[in-house]
Amino acid sequence: MFRHDSFKHKKLEPEQARVKRNVPTVPEKLYTKCDGCRKMILNSDLKGNLSVCPVCGKHFRISARDRIALVADRGSFTEWDAELTTIDVLEFPGYKEKLESSQLNSGEKEAAITGQARIYSMPCAICAMEPSFMMGSMGAVVGEKVSRLFERATEARLPVVIFTVSGGARMHEGIISLMQMAKTSGAVKRHSDAGLLYIAVLTDPTTGGVTASFAMEADIILAEPDALIGFAGPRVIEQTIRQKLSPGFQHAEFLLEKGFIDMIVPRGELKKTIGQILALHGGSV
Amino acid sequence: MFGKILIANRGEIAVRIIRACKEMGIETVSVFSEADKDALHVHMADESYCIGPAPVSESYLNMTSILTTAVETGAEAIHPGYGLLSENAKFAELCKACNIAFIGPEPEILRKMGDKDQARRTMKEAGIPVIAGSDAFDDAQEALEKAKEIGFPLLIKARSGGGGRGIRLVKSEDSFIDQFCTASSESLTAFGDGALYLEKYIYPARHVEVQILADKRGNTIALGERECSVQRKNQKLIEESPSPALTPENRISLWDTAVAAAKAVNYENAGTVEFLLDRDGNFYFMEMNTRLQVEHPVTEMVTGIDLVQWQIRIAAGMPLPFTQADINPKGHAIECRINAEDPYNNYRPSCGTISLLHVPGGPGVRFDSAIYQGYFIPPYYDSMIGKLIVYANTRSEAIRKMIAALSELVAEGIEHNGQLQLDILDDKRFKSGDYDTSFMAEFGR
Repeated sequence: MFRHDSFKHKKLEPEQARVKRNVPTVPEKLYTKCDGCRKMILNSDLKGNLSVCPVCGKHFRISARDRIALVADRGSFTEWDAELTTIDVLEFPGYKEKLESSQLNSGEKEAAITGQARIYSMPCAICAMEPSFMMGSMGAVVGEKVSRLFERATEARLPVVIFTVSGGARMHEGIISLMQMAKTSGAVKRHSDAGLLYIAVLTDPTTGGVTASFAMEADIILAEPDALIGFAGPRVIEQTIRQKLSPGFQHAEFLLEKGFIDMIVPRGELKKTIGQILALHGGSV
Repeated sequence: MFGKILIANRGEIAVRIIRACKEMGIETVSVFSEADKDALHVHMADESYCIGPAPVSESYLNMTSILTTAVETGAEAIHPGYGLLSENAKFAELCKACNIAFIGPEPEILRKMGDKDQARRTMKEAGIPVIAGSDAFDDAQEALEKAKEIGFPLLIKARSGGGGRGIRLVKSEDSFIDQFCTASSESLTAFGDGALYLEKYIYPARHVEVQILADKRGNTIALGERECSVQRKNQKLIEESPSPALTPENRISLWDTAVAAAKAVNYENAGTVEFLLDRDGNFYFMEMNTRLQVEHPVTEMVTGIDLVQWQIRIAAGMPLPFTQADINPKGHAIECRINAEDPYNNYRPSCGTISLLHVPGGPGVRFDSAIYQGYFIPPYYDSMIGKLIVYANTRSEAIRKMIAALSELVAEGIEHNGQLQLDILDDKRFKSGDYDTSFMAEFGR
């Protein structure tokens, strides 16, 4: 067997003068390390695959607008209440700056986008939460937008489709944020009482006050593979109950097994699945 | 000129590129899979890095690993060899984004010629003769209508295929729909694109290709042709240059057409234009290979031009110092591909340790390979273990030299196709030079 020094690595003088070139560099945002398989994935491959890792199938988080574009018929989305913005009524320290940086990062005014769209030509009220806006946390504006979504949908007799991603109630708004849980739940109930369909799609992560309110109140609850879904985080629970949690605890597959959700749908099949459910419940294709 | 080049390939072609770099005073970086840790290219390069497990999808096709290695080692250029990433437009684009020169054509050309349907249309528009055929279809019924127009027998070809893969012969209308659907699903699996186009089946025909070299300033020249009609299942076995089928007149015409084809897409670097030649001396564009070919040594032998070195120089921006008038191929060269397989046992692939190796030598004999005594041939990769190339003044002398060289080749511990190559060289049709692509199908009957 050869060794590396089996060959004499005698270097010849370059036949041509070396030309100084740009130093090879990997541009920022060329690839991303997948948390699932630890492989480096080209961002173009990731984007072309709906932000799902082509190697291990991990579903990366996507923006609210990408969510809507994923399922809504092209050009069918009309936004509602886009002008609503948060006022820091409690003057919570650092909240204003946090809001500003979130708006800058996400390009959105708040952590939820609502409106009306068509899915396979079937009209519906739609909401998607924005992970890069304070991890989709629910304050007064998110609660108000979600409540108005259900109220308008009830009035127009539309089904509602919501994509949740949230760290829970927004602590910077104290009791006001907690009150949104009751407010949104009331709106969901009135929509339900009117005999209308509500589909929730729980995406990674859906936790805290959002799980404890409108996310878990849907008629049909779908989830993306491996999404973290829970109220308190697993670490907090472990520390409180002083017990090791089961593997996969609070993940979509675990919740499906325990009957908390109805179905796990990979991102590529979401539009088709939601379309089928809407059609089954009276939408006309 | 580049100071350091990364070779994104394995086997004999990696060794061939390392040799060219060494001669030019360029440092080399090789990459290898876990199964290739003992491969020759790993030891010959100045630096070597493992880029992943044995399957090519996780190592030699792993773009991020290769690019990261190039950036970390400061390699200014990547030579992709043939196969693997050599015709991958996305990879060429990523190299550009990382300030690394891709030794090959621009991504745009790779994309244009990689889409065989678009390539066909581009050539047609440029006035290059193409075989009667169709644009690409997804729908079998629509394709059938066009098929009836073209006439049977015909070939169904994958738009994104190449290298002889994704081709089906349909002899009659009855089996067309079945064959189309099977070919489409196969093509979707193999190339990620199920679109197929149709082509009139020209039979009997010869496979003749022209080697092109083009610099960044638009100087495009033909370096002679190669006859590649000895093929089994569209995989070449023997190549020779010049082709015994061409007259001096149609040789010039073929070269001119190949140059026109390359110019039609503003081609740059080394490439090959493949043609089908019918009995009447008419030739038709088949496809353009936008990379170095396995059989490039026969062209090097008759022209005296080192194609790999010129690929590197062109990528570094050097103009070609010669013109078409300076190209006068001399003598005759033949290449036999040595594959680790048992041709007399249904071409069963063979792997294992080479317990004894003797490589033929002497004047005009060249063996491009990456095997050595004690080397274990891994089961994961292509079965080609070497290329035996001979050069002589005339075709008959070259055949004699090849027979002598093949007789001298010893590679014990594995099965190889040396005996089959000897039998082919001994065949009357081959000796006469009057053979076509049906040769292997009829051989030995």
